[in-house]
Amino acid sequence: MARIQIKDLVKTFGAYKAVSGINMEIRDGEFMIMVGPSGCGKTTTLNMISGLETPTSGQIVIGDTVVNDLEPGERGLGMVFQDLALFPHMTVYENIAFGLRVKKVPPAEIDRRVTAAAEAVHIGSLLPKLPRQCSGGESQRVALARTIVTNPSVFLMDEPLSSLDAKLRVDMRTELKRLHERLKATFVYVTHDQAEAMTMADSIVVMSKGRIEQLGSPLAIYNTPATQFVAGFFGTPTMNFLEGTIEANGSGRRFRAPGIDQPLPDALPAGIAGRKVTLGVRSEHVLVDANGPHAGTVLITEPLGDATLVHFDYGQGKTLVAKVPPTTTLGPGGQLRFDFAPQACHLFDAAGGERLN
Amino acid sequence: MTHTTTGTHLASGKTRPLGAPARLAKWLASERVFRLIPFVLVEGLFIVTILIPFALTIWISMLKWRANRPFETAVFSGLDNYAGVLENEQFWFSVGRTFYFAGVAVALELLIGFFLAMMVTNCTRSKKLYTTIFLVPMMIVPIVVGYNFSMIYIDSGPLNQLLSPFLERFGIDPRIRWLSHPVAAQWAIIIADVWQWTSLTFLIFLSGFAALPRQLINAARVMGASPMQIFFRVQLPLLKPAIAIAVVIRSMEALKMFDPVVLLTFGGPGTSTQTVAYFLWEQVWQFNKFSFGAAASILLLFLFSFLIFAGIFTIIRQRNAIAGGR
Repeated sequence: MARIQIKDLVKTFGAYKAVSGINMEIRDGEFMIMVGPSGCGKTTTLNMISGLETPTSGQIVIGDTVVNDLEPGERGLGMVFQDLALFPHMTVYENIAFGLRVKKVPPAEIDRRVTAAAEAVHIGSLLPKLPRQCSGGESQRVALARTIVTNPSVFLMDEPLSSLDAKLRVDMRTELKRLHERLKATFVYVTHDQAEAMTMADSIVVMSKGRIEQLGSPLAIYNTPATQFVAGFFGTPTMNFLEGTIEANGSGRRFRAPGIDQPLPDALPAGIAGRKVTLGVRSEHVLVDANGPHAGTVLITEPLGDATLVHFDYGQGKTLVAKVPPTTTLGPGGQLRFDFAPQACHLFDAAGGERLN
Repeated sequence: MTHTTTGTHLASGKTRPLGAPARLAKWLASERVFRLIPFVLVEGLFIVTILIPFALTIWISMLKWRANRPFETAVFSGLDNYAGVLENEQFWFSVGRTFYFAGVAVALELLIGFFLAMMVTNCTRSKKLYTTIFLVPMMIVPIVVGYNFSMIYIDSGPLNQLLSPFLERFGIDPRIRWLSHPVAAQWAIIIADVWQWTSLTFLIFLSGFAALPRQLINAARVMGASPMQIFFRVQLPLLKPAIAIAVVIRSMEALKMFDPVVLLTFGGPGTSTQTVAYFLWEQVWQFNKFSFGAAASILLLFLFSFLIFAGIFTIIRQRNAIAGGR
């Protein structure tokens, strides 16, 4: 049983608080991804789970055991490092066998398990080579095989794909997801790449400044971001943010900003009128429509193939991005009219950034 | 329109060839002269400081000549001097003594330097202070080190002062003359060399430890390796290039050991601490046997070159094994 519970976990380096009191639970067999910008505390948290860092306070429980005082090697984990950390002086075979050798597993069994692990990630032919003779993708697989071979119940991965080129990274994502399904182990994965998080995770923890911003399924995080930070972190291109105020207008309420007067859905908390807010709209929810209520001037267009991004000025030098079908005839300098899909508008408090609707 | 660079245009369209001084001036002003400057400097320095003295040494080694006699009396003697060196027992004795000193001193310097570097690497505080302290001996002029050690070893020196309470208890006269005893004098020289040059091996190993990727050690820890296993299976193999560098640099220097011998013992008592550098110095500057000394130094050059190239080859191989090309 490899459920991981993290209770009030704090880590400080001198006066700097890297992780400030986080709580979460990672279910057995879950693929959990911790995501956030550099310095948000995600790698520190992972290192505390692995035992490479000692928590300043708080508890880490793996299964039913509090592991705070256990050495990394006693926690039954496997870890893949950002730079892979393959031993450069050992062959691929010896790299994979290392974890078994230090545990004094009999040689015959080492041989059997190393071969099996290498086959599992399709690197059987690389075994006699040295790490420097392997390509980036091959090294990646060696690092995975080295982790698989000890049969850990928890896999920790610290940005393992960051050293690969874009195409290989996408291929490896699929492969990691398959591996997770086959092994049914708990995966805790750290990345700053929101696309990696969206595509692989069962659940995502978004971290910022040592705190958890949101914890949820990829779609929940994408569709109902809990804070403006989360909203801005997920999705390409970044969500559009407009600053303005909410005004009550009879029974309904409207969002007003220079050049924008947008009716809002009814289901808004009471007492929201008059507040300064940030309206968030994803580019696919900015609807370019000849009958739209708002006007804008096209600045540039970016064709993506399956869609085209239109950057336009909606007044006073403020820009928005809309995702339109690739057949669009809009070009720089052209005029357009647009509307927002009302159900897809996210409202955040202008000061604190927390979600209001 | 075409341009010519070799002459001046005349009204008739013909060109008149430039004179030699003008051609030289033109060449000196051209860009390729500037490109030659570094080459000429390096070559010049090489010829003046290495090639000419080397050729002179070979020439002198084939003459029968003593520096206290006029050079006109020198006669060509072929390889006689070489034969003389190879037959000289004192030469072989001093070669053996040199290898003994170098072997013992370098081994101690490696062990102590490695140990100190490991301790300082794992130090959590005052790391810079310890690093500075351990580097001080290397920065002291060798003659000062030699003088200080000779003061330590003299019969009324601090070493005997420290030992006297124990020695007097056994009825031994505490005024021991360490440098007059063959074995003690040898160790006195080795200790002085170790004291001064452990700093260098310490520095090499300190940078070696600092260059070890932290993640490799972390990876080994997560896989359950004990500190001993991490040291012997991960750290030590990765430090091999640093070890090879320390061995080669220190051996090259230790084989030339001269200053502590002169300052502490003058090769004595008898010839028990005579190194090959001291032997050469004595033959050439004390006995004026220039051509004999020249032949001996050429022979040593071959011997040491072989060792140095073997050492450099080892370094390259160790480096390639860890980080080299494909």
